[in-house]
Amino acid sequence: MKPAPFGWIRAHSVAEAVAALREHPEAKVIAGGQSLVPLLNFRLSRPSHLVDINPLETSLNQVEWSGSALTLGALVRHQRLAEHPVVRERVPVLSRAASHIGHWAIRVRGTLGGSISHADPAAELPAAMVALNAVLVAQSADGTREIPASEFFQGYYTTALQADELLTAVRIPAPEGRWGFAEVARRLGDFALAGAFVQRGSRVAVTWFGVAGAPVRVELTEVPADAREREVAWRQALTTAVGSDLEVAKVAQAVAVAEKAWSEAQ
Amino acid sequence: MAEASIQPLTVTLKVNGRDYTVTVEPRWTLADVLRHQLGLTGTHVGCEQGVCGACTVLVDGEPARSCLMFAVQMEGHEIVTIEGLTPEAGLSPLQEAFHRHHALQCGFCTPGMLVTATALLNQGKPLTEETVREALSGNLCRCTGYQFIVDAVMDAQGGK
Amino acid sequence: MQQAMRPQMMGARVSRVEDQRLLTAQARFMDDIQVPGMLEIAFVRSPHAAAEIVSIDTSRAAQVPGVHKVMTFDDCPYWLWMRGVFKVGQPALAHGEVYYVGQPVVAVVAENRYIAEDAAELVEVVYRPKEPVLDMREAIAERPRRVHPEAENVFFHREYQTPGFEEAFAQAPHHLSETFSLSRQTAVTLEPRGTAAMVDPATGRLTVYASTQAPHRVRLDLATFMDIPETQIRVITPEVGGGFGMKAATYPEDVVVVQAARTLRRPVKWISDRMESLLSDVHGRDDIHDVEVAFDDTGKIIAIRDHLMADGGAFIPVPFSGAVGETSLAAMVLTGPYDIPHLAYTIDCTFSNKTPLGAYRGVWGPVASFIQEGIVDRVARYLKMDPAEVRRRNMIRDEQFPYKNAAGMVYDRGSYLESFERALDMIGYADFRARQKALRQQGRYLGIGISCFVEPSAMASSEAGSVGYESCSLRMEPSGRVIAALGLGPTGQGHETTMAQLIADQIGVKLEDVIVLHGDTDSAPMGGGTGGSRSATIGGGAALVAGRQLREKLAQVAAHLLEAAPEDIVLEDGKAWVSGVPERSLAIRDIARAAYLDVKRMPGGMPVGLEVTARYLPPRPITFSNGCHIAEVEVDIRTGVARVTRYVVVNDCGRLINPTIVEGQILGGVAQGVGSAILERLHYDENGQLTTTTLLDYLLPEATDVPRVQMAHIETPSESEGGIKGMGEGSLIASPAAIAGAIADALEPFGGLVDRLPVQPSDVLAMVGRAAS
Ligand SMILES: Cc1cc2nc3c(=O)[nH]c(=O)nc-3n(C[C@H](O)[C@H](O)[C@H](O)COP(=O)(O)OP(=O)(O)OC[C@H]3O[C@@H](n4cnc5c(N)ncnc54)[C@H](O)[C@@H]3O)c2cc1C
Ligand code: FES
Ligand code: FES
Repeated sequence: MKPAPFGWIRAHSVAEAVAALREHPEAKVIAGGQSLVPLLNFRLSRPSHLVDINPLETSLNQVEWSGSALTLGALVRHQRLAEHPVVRERVPVLSRAASHIGHWAIRVRGTLGGSISHADPAAELPAAMVALNAVLVAQSADGTREIPASEFFQGYYTTALQADELLTAVRIPAPEGRWGFAEVARRLGDFALAGAFVQRGSRVAVTWFGVAGAPVRVELTEVPADAREREVAWRQALTTAVGSDLEVAKVAQAVAVAEKAWSEAQ
Repeated sequence: MAEASIQPLTVTLKVNGRDYTVTVEPRWTLADVLRHQLGLTGTHVGCEQGVCGACTVLVDGEPARSCLMFAVQMEGHEIVTIEGLTPEAGLSPLQEAFHRHHALQCGFCTPGMLVTATALLNQGKPLTEETVREALSGNLCRCTGYQFIVDAVMDAQGGK
Repeated sequence: MQQAMRPQMMGARVSRVEDQRLLTAQARFMDDIQVPGMLEIAFVRSPHAAAEIVSIDTSRAAQVPGVHKVMTFDDCPYWLWMRGVFKVGQPALAHGEVYYVGQPVVAVVAENRYIAEDAAELVEVVYRPKEPVLDMREAIAERPRRVHPEAENVFFHREYQTPGFEEAFAQAPHHLSETFSLSRQTAVTLEPRGTAAMVDPATGRLTVYASTQAPHRVRLDLATFMDIPETQIRVITPEVGGGFGMKAATYPEDVVVVQAARTLRRPVKWISDRMESLLSDVHGRDDIHDVEVAFDDTGKIIAIRDHLMADGGAFIPVPFSGAVGETSLAAMVLTGPYDIPHLAYTIDCTFSNKTPLGAYRGVWGPVASFIQEGIVDRVARYLKMDPAEVRRRNMIRDEQFPYKNAAGMVYDRGSYLESFERALDMIGYADFRARQKALRQQGRYLGIGISCFVEPSAMASSEAGSVGYESCSLRMEPSGRVIAALGLGPTGQGHETTMAQLIADQIGVKLEDVIVLHGDTDSAPMGGGTGGSRSATIGGGAALVAGRQLREKLAQVAAHLLEAAPEDIVLEDGKAWVSGVPERSLAIRDIARAAYLDVKRMPGGMPVGLEVTARYLPPRPITFSNGCHIAEVEVDIRTGVARVTRYVVVNDCGRLINPTIVEGQILGGVAQGVGSAILERLHYDENGQLTTTTLLDYLLPEATDVPRVQMAHIETPSESEGGIKGMGEGSLIASPAAIAGAIADALEPFGGLVDRLPVQPSDVLAMVGRAAS
């Protein structure tokens, strides 16, 4: 289980990185490597080159609160996201979600930008972006564009990002209302069987992950006070969004995490 | 424009406080280079996928999977392996605790466990059985059932 | 003699002598063996469950710079085959046809593993796929076809019935039936398999490094299969990172590595990666049992009928068929610790297009316990009785020992009732039901599961694929220190410590003065290796007998030098003295000096030197340990996830050599039991593809999945040397059944029962869902 050969490009600036991506259409960015390197080791991914953006760590790891939005650099590592005082104060549900990713050693390396670009359907952070209405900032040799999270995730491991684009940052507007997060996994650190973010404010929204190819966000006009009725409501919301051919167990788990996240957002 | 290289590159790695200048292919993982180029065979490889934790080393003081990093990435970082956590003579207090508590059987997971446990102890936070288990949850052991490892780590904290 | 009566080391919590090198990264595991010029192998493995090989083109691979050889069957025309026992053997590399996904087809030998894998991708094999045989019941009926045209699918069949069975069964007032099954699981040693071989240029002998539990077995198999005089082969086991039965087999890759080293005259190494390990290490379990039970109103079980089936995979691993083991041996202990007079069984082991089935810790025990405890729990639920009470009523009583069970097995005296009652006490069984009831009101589902087990250990017959005896040679060196060499193959059990404890006691020297060698066929006399919980009883027995023989020699010399009778000599604390006259003494090292360097002081007629070799075969064909595990679980009925929350073990493995090491074995087995019961599952799809080929799909228990385990020991000595019983497997024999029982208990309000392991969240949700609708 060893990677096939590839060329190595160390990027010393964002400009260098995007130029390299443009020049080598078969190149891939390597950030934390926590998703990419297993794929390389299995030879399931065979890029011609790797563009290492870790040298850009100092310029792409900002955690900045503007008063109305939180801006996070693509190279913010999961562990830092989980522990950073500003994140914990302004968007606590995000740091909670980040602490559920893998294990300590994985969180130490894995990056926000990597998780979002990789777009694993069962990953926490892509769903967090959708739930929190984030704007994703992508840069290429042609310039910068901003993509709303709701349009970014298109299906299993598929995003709106072009092959020559680098995700540089995300911007999260100040979250409104109370928030809850819950997930169910076989073991601590495993990808979720199902997970949910719930927002309780002027509107109620649930964002699921692990139930479809991409995060699923549903707004509910009315959430019943009675637990049994609420369960029906979650189930309906889920079916509306992803159809009715989900496995029975998956539906039960999705309902369970929505309910748990809901009660946490009290 | 950054230089692309498919050819072997020469890098200087700082491992256990020593500089090693080695020529490596970009695709060689840090684990393989530590083991086969530098002869530091204490770092073990059990899955090459980031799951088992046997290959855990400290990178700038934090635990990381050496099977999921390439040696070419490591210039300018401080790497510590189990060899670097071992005193010249005898055992470290953590190693002593592992010995006292029978926290190893086949010993294959042990270096990774010691590395992760060292990082945990270095944080200096108060430990509970739960936090120790959580911190070690990314290090698989097939022999011990973990209990004596947890005991050893908690005891080592007391002894620190 | 006296000092054997008052051992100082046996029973002591001695810290292991192995630890130092393992803790400080000085130990050498398989992949740490690196010699100049060493080449590495990557295998091309079958992507099909069943296919004919139309052609193999290795030309492009052979041209890759750094590749030394690309080998097919023609370059390595050997078979791993127990000829005369089974009709089918496995070619070291596929010959004309492939029989399971992961079967080695081509070997690429190159400068390093990276290059070998590059070239392996360029090997072109054209296959013509065949319909795979995947379903056990279908295969038994020879459908859709035979796996091997030359052999029936059923390669092992046996029937048995106690006299009067049918009558007793028919007359019983109550009957229940159930089909139980266990998924395929596998050992997943943290260190994968590996082999290296090199020809010694001076002698022409082969040195084979093998990550194995049975070095002599590997030597014998290589010699037999490759027609090499065994004296030309030296097998050395480096540090072995776990075995659990999986490393007790000789594998095709071992043969290929040796052949590559012989042909290229270069050192060659192969290290399995994790995907190869999940595909090609022997699998375990994979059993189906159609069970019927007959019982009376009081909960007394009268008769069990079982059709035991196991899927043996495509070939029969050497030297041990997991399928035959899982079934024929399980049948011998299906009644467990219960006094059940009648038993009838039929066994069918079948071939399929899956990975060969071999040993995984416990082999027959986990399935037997799962079924026997599952039966008891069903009887209790049917009669609305307390499951603990049903166990009490059926348990073998102390006055019944030595007890012969319905299958004809004779159990050692044990602490059946005592261990059970003690475990109930430890978990607080009396209070549990109230707690369970209260929490159910809050929507929390707790359950308790009891598993009373017998552990068949130390098989002295050869059916376990190993020889029945173990050997120990002891050599006291002129310094008075002792070298002990045993044929064992430890993989973490601490034999260097426990064997030294036994020997030190016998000859009265310090523990650190006994150096235990193992895992080298040049240093150790022929032995069976480590497996089947044999090392403490059989290996320990050999160590005790050898120790006693050496002590007798020492006493003889000492008696001569001290002018006393040998039977009056006491050996202790590194000294020999005349009983009752401590001032008439002599250091043991002085005796050793005399025996080697000053031989004229030796008693007349006594051979020079202090050396013995002993072999030990226990008096009973099987030594039975026993005990009781109780698990408490909490099941989340909304997500289906079960967690083991509390756990107690009462273990009786006879005289303890080192309680700490015993506890380590128990804890490791309980963790594996958590895996067996709720996490670990090898899954094949309808094309015969193994879909669980990484550790993100095959889930091992983490530190957070295993509860703190409370342990207690009872010591009922065996009739073997030292009163020792084996205990390496009991904890994995008992634990899956305990956890399964606990989950069933938690789900009792939903009518939940567990008939299949592992229990997955979807299984739990299905049970809850069925009850709701
Ligand atoms: C054992 C284990 C358990 C894990 N468990 C979880 C889990 O529970 N939940 C979870 O969410 N994740 C989990 N992960 C994955 C982990 O979170 C990864 O860190 C994350 O998915 C990818 O981030 P990375 O920085 O490592 O990206 P990389 O692996 O470096 O890259 C991943 C992909 O994204 C691309 N990419 C990376 N950065 C950028 C960028 N800035 N712009 C454009 N493209 C980019 C790469 O080209 C690559 O295709 C686990 C990983 C392991 C090994
Ligand atoms: S080898 Fe790196 S985590 Fe297993
Ligand atoms: S001691 Fe063997 S894997 Fe941990």
